[in-house]
Amino acid sequence: MISNRLAILGALLILLAVLIIIFIRMGGKGKTEQEPLSLPPEISQSSDEQQEKRKVVLFYLSEKDALLHPEVREIYAYTSVVQEAKQTLEELLKESQSGYLSPIPPQTKLREIFLTRKGVAYVDFSKDFQVGHPSGSTAEILTIYSIVNSLAYNFKSIKKVFILIEGVEKETLGGHVNLNKPFLPQYSLIAR
Amino acid sequence: MIKVAHSDFSYDYFNTEDSPRLIIDLSQAEEEMREIRNIVIDPGHGGLEVGAKGKFGALEKDITLPISLKLKAIIERNLALRVFLTRDKDTNISLDNRVAIANNNKADLFISIHANSSFRKNATGSETFFLSMDATDEEARRLAYLENSSAALEDRIEGENEDEIKMILWDMAQAAYLQQSSQLAEFIQRELNLLLSTHNRGIKQAPFRVLTGVACPAVLVEVAFLSNPVEEKELLTERFQSRVAQAIYRGLLNFIKLYGQE
Repeated sequence: MISNRLAILGALLILLAVLIIIFIRMGGKGKTEQEPLSLPPEISQSSDEQQEKRKVVLFYLSEKDALLHPEVREIYAYTSVVQEAKQTLEELLKESQSGYLSPIPPQTKLREIFLTRKGVAYVDFSKDFQVGHPSGSTAEILTIYSIVNSLAYNFKSIKKVFILIEGVEKETLGGHVNLNKPFLPQYSLIAR
Repeated sequence: MIKVAHSDFSYDYFNTEDSPRLIIDLSQAEEEMREIRNIVIDPGHGGLEVGAKGKFGALEKDITLPISLKLKAIIERNLALRVFLTRDKDTNISLDNRVAIANNNKADLFISIHANSSFRKNATGSETFFLSMDATDEEARRLAYLENSSAALEDRIEGENEDEIKMILWDMAQAAYLQQSSQLAEFIQRELNLLLSTHNRGIKQAPFRVLTGVACPAVLVEVAFLSNPVEEKELLTERFQSRVAQAIYRGLLNFIKLYGQE
């Protein structure tokens, strides 16, 4: 009886020891795996000259008509679509370099962008996107499709765009266009 | 007796007496059109939700209401129709509630009235919108289902008690009326061009939330630009507001003459 119990106890102790070893190993491994991730991304590894660039087309507004006008910009080329899409929108948030009007209120910041496997890009803007907006139908349509077109035109894997404000789904921007659904691009709005 | 089983065709047959003949007249069935009894007018915005703002302080919500009230008065004066407003004072009503008001009052026509605004100051003119829909993915299936059951839509909503089914149907209800909505938009736009001297911006499509769930022909009229100082001043005058109401009424009337007669 006693030897039996001792054998069980021994087996349990060995099991515990094995578990502890596995736990420590996993922990160590986890750390070594995390290290490259915590390194700054590709930007900081190479200088500006070394980093490859690519061209993207942004869509701005004109004083003359209610159409979207293309403007070519350069961004850093990455293997990640999300990284490139983020840069593209960051560029769109800046003023036009050819004198066009910005379709996005000036204080607006891009909070985050996600891409689903089905090709829906979720774009999350700061509240200024809504607060500073002129809120007419035409203004809403142009703002939304400048963003949607700027993404879908440059990135094949982005099929639709869903717009969030402060991380939340909104009904509309200013009472007109429905924001509860993802948008397909509208290339008919582009000036020729 | 002759029976034509296909629902896409209608037929008529008659005998000629002087020469013994039977004539069977087959024709494409016409799109089922219910008689127009109820019109719902939706004055855009209201309450704290002011809509677009003009340089001189005009608010979209304060322009859409008087135009809507004038339009209601003209219709009631001239036609034996019931007219409902989604709001008759300066109150905040959600877009989904406006849709519910239209559908619950069995609207046969829905007109949402707005004043436009854009980023550029010199944007001018009026335009009439109807709903745009993306016919893709799962939506396409829903849409196809709706188009197929267009006439049966109302019965279904009344027959089914489950809220969820109602919600799904109402969510996309406008899909079954896009063609008539575009026709209504065209009629109204034509009159706006004729009566007002505003620049013609034509009929357009956009995914407007207030139109999506409406179960009848539905349009959204954008009357001139509040972001344009000249048009802002005009929008504030009673004369301009009356002329807009008159133009929309004429457009409606032409649509009713074409579609809405028994």
